[in-house]
Amino acid sequence: MLELEQEIKRLVIDTLNLEDLKPDDIDPAAPLFVEGLGLDSIDALELGLALQKSYGVVLASDSKENRRHFASVRALADFVSSHRTRS
Amino acid sequence: MMGFSVQRWAAWAPGLVHPASWETWLANPHALPAEGTPALTAMPAMMRRRVDRLGRIALQAAYDAHVDAPAAPVIFASRYGDLGRSVELLTQLARSEPLSPTSFSLSVHNAIGALYSIARGDTSAYGAIAAGEETVEAAFTEACGLLSDGVPRVMVVVYEEPVPSPWEHFCRDVAFPHAWACLLSASTGADAVHLDCAAGPPDASLTEQGPSDLPVDLRVLRFLVSGASRWEHAAGGRRWRWARHG
Repeated sequence: MLELEQEIKRLVIDTLNLEDLKPDDIDPAAPLFVEGLGLDSIDALELGLALQKSYGVVLASDSKENRRHFASVRALADFVSSHRTRS
Repeated sequence: MMGFSVQRWAAWAPGLVHPASWETWLANPHALPAEGTPALTAMPAMMRRRVDRLGRIALQAAYDAHVDAPAAPVIFASRYGDLGRSVELLTQLARSEPLSPTSFSLSVHNAIGALYSIARGDTSAYGAIAAGEETVEAAFTEACGLLSDGVPRVMVVVYEEPVPSPWEHFCRDVAFPHAWACLLSASTGADAVHLDCAAGPPDASLTEQGPSDLPVDLRVLRFLVSGASRWEHAAGGRRWRWARHG
């Protein structure tokens, strides 16, 4: 799981052009949106697309679950590991 | 049309950053590198990450010309704008690939100006103009209209980059990315610049002064910063006459 967290941190940095950040700068338990990393709704869409491409996970567009899955890198890793269709 | 003067200006191209080196270069232009991107450190990093090369160049010129001037309406002008982004999106659509939401949100002509407005928390009137080979004149016409309405100053930002493949045959005038920005105010003084438009064939004696191997927007910049008394730009059936009445 730790490995997947590292992988997702790199995906977040590369997908969202967070050029000043390194994976170790991201606290896996910290919020990704608004507070913490300070990402916004366009970032959420972009990240959803990247997760779909990389892991084959499909996000429902109106799911309240999404808020939980996108809460932190750790939550994303949990979600990906249980829903991935691509390795 | 309303007379104006250039209060200050800035420009950016790969290898050409300072006004003094621009003045030297405009008088005697040579080829510039086709690649290069400014650091754009004036913009917060979380916003800057969304701005690609052409936007960074345009906004670097805007920040450099604006500095601490009071808020003013800003007119962004580019003939082709961020066409590279559109090519990428259209290519993805043709392949039935999902589009990047970020790229889609920035694919409109006013996106670069909007980022500048958001980053600076500036609620002034902003516009984005594309008007073919008369783009710069259209921008200055708009600026003169605002000055006539009593706005104390207006910023014009002009930016272009080479037209990307597969459309490069439509226009090969621009060989390197560049942008320039100037802060204008109304003027009735001896140095006031006037722009007007007339129908009819170009006046051969006025159409070309100095080297013509520059894209048309940079020929306007050369007129503005050189102190030359006139320059005429013929386009379609129109003659745009730039003049400085001494």
